[in-house]
Amino acid sequence: MSVPQTVETALADRPVEGATCLEAGAGVGNTTRGLLEQGAGHVYAVTDNAEHARDLRASLDSHEASRTSILEADLRSTPLQSNAVDLITAHGLCNVVPPSALGQISAELARIAAPGAHLVVNDYEPLPDDAAIRNLFAVENAVSELADGTPALTFYPSDMLRRVFEGHGLTFDRKQVLLDPVPWTVSHVEAHADLARKAATDLPQRLSDPLATELDQLVEEIGSESTGAMYSLAFRMSER
Amino acid sequence: MTGDLEARKLGDTDQESTVATFGAIALNWLEQEGANQMVEHALDHGVNHFDVAPQYGDAELKLGPKLRQHREEIFLGCKTQKREYDGARHKLERSLDRLGIDTIDLYQVHGLEYEEELDTITGEGGALEAFREAKVEGQIDHIGLTSHGDPDLIMDAIDRIDDLETLMFPLNPVVMAKNDAEYDYEAVLERANEEGLGTLIIKAFARGPWPPEAELPVEDRPYANWYEPVDTPERMRERFDFVASQDVTSVVTPGDPKLVSMGFDAASRYEPMDEAAQRSLIEELRHEDSPVPEQLHH
Repeated sequence: MSVPQTVETALADRPVEGATCLEAGAGVGNTTRGLLEQGAGHVYAVTDNAEHARDLRASLDSHEASRTSILEADLRSTPLQSNAVDLITAHGLCNVVPPSALGQISAELARIAAPGAHLVVNDYEPLPDDAAIRNLFAVENAVSELADGTPALTFYPSDMLRRVFEGHGLTFDRKQVLLDPVPWTVSHVEAHADLARKAATDLPQRLSDPLATELDQLVEEIGSESTGAMYSLAFRMSER
Repeated sequence: MTGDLEARKLGDTDQESTVATFGAIALNWLEQEGANQMVEHALDHGVNHFDVAPQYGDAELKLGPKLRQHREEIFLGCKTQKREYDGARHKLERSLDRLGIDTIDLYQVHGLEYEEELDTITGEGGALEAFREAKVEGQIDHIGLTSHGDPDLIMDAIDRIDDLETLMFPLNPVVMAKNDAEYDYEAVLERANEEGLGTLIIKAFARGPWPPEAELPVEDRPYANWYEPVDTPERMRERFDFVASQDVTSVVTPGDPKLVSMGFDAASRYEPMDEAAQRSLIEELRHEDSPVPEQLHH
């Protein structure tokens, strides 16, 4: 699987070579692979999703695997020591972090960062008002709120995330626009709808049925849409 | 009718080619009257670089009348698939005859695919001897090479042909989304620019391969292109803007006559595409091409 250009672009001006890295929210491992390709010394790939951890483990070759530790952990409290890593990446992480957990996770990342460490936060700006895909994300969030009381997705403005991480002693370095517009392809739309359908199965039928119907309709209506922007923020931890 | 296409220097040559090159293969599917109209259409848009080959059915013959009428306005590229001296010499004479002209501005080695071919072309009694001889005799002005083969092979050719002046090769966001060396035409472009070669881009409008024949028989394909093209004005413009925003000389219009006008139009409206928008297009195609399970992000 190829490393997305978003990841390559965001890492291009960071000192990856030989660095001990943490990928916060490893997902399918796009950034882990990007870090390994650019010569990371070691990558801690942290995810709270057992399926992602398993898939990522299976996808690495032996040379990559020897430089990677896949940790199944909650990012609010990881088993990593303080000051342990030189470079932290959070690629597409924050939008799946509910506001109630953002403070703890950002504090945890700051704790793990060594003095002088780099932090890269890549995420999405809030979508424009006229974006059709907002309707899909609204249903995805409604299902999630009904199921466990938290939204599935929160698109934090880059300025806001900047303030959050600055609040933990990180110095803002640069902002880049990674994607403008963001291509929400048929496969993205379907992946989001699938996740919402899955979450809806935990709801009483009187709620899950109409929500599932709405999801089907939205998938059909939206198809694909290019809208919004994806940004990359880079920070440095103070030398302390 | 616009006639104000951007022109760019064709490598280190004195030629300034428009950012769109007319792929004259399209004439093969038109009757003579339609072919004449299409050439006028290209010229109305200000296109000054045409490309043809003897392999394109009777495109050379159909291009002939209007080419002769407007000879001074057209920089003509032609090519040969012959790898040895005799064959190349003969094909050149035949093309000149079919086109009805005395000089071809750019004569290109057509469709280089294998290392052995490169050995033959560059060796004693190879096609390049015929090219060089024809250049001295004034039958051709410049020497080029075309290939949609292995990028490493193309770069080898750059090394081995000292008097090479132009390269024609594929570039589009689909191949740029792939990391493998076999699709690394960006490296070819970089190298070509270092060496001062003019760069002519093919397959800019390719969406991907046609579905397998079992699903879509060849005779049921809606376009003559040997790949499935993008075919809406918006998508064509997006592709044109993307490719022309790379450091290339010119983008060759699609082979199917139904798409040519949209190609000219895209060139007329060309606007450089910024890097975030380029990445957006690459990312979109990366997902279209290889859907990975549960990719919520980019």
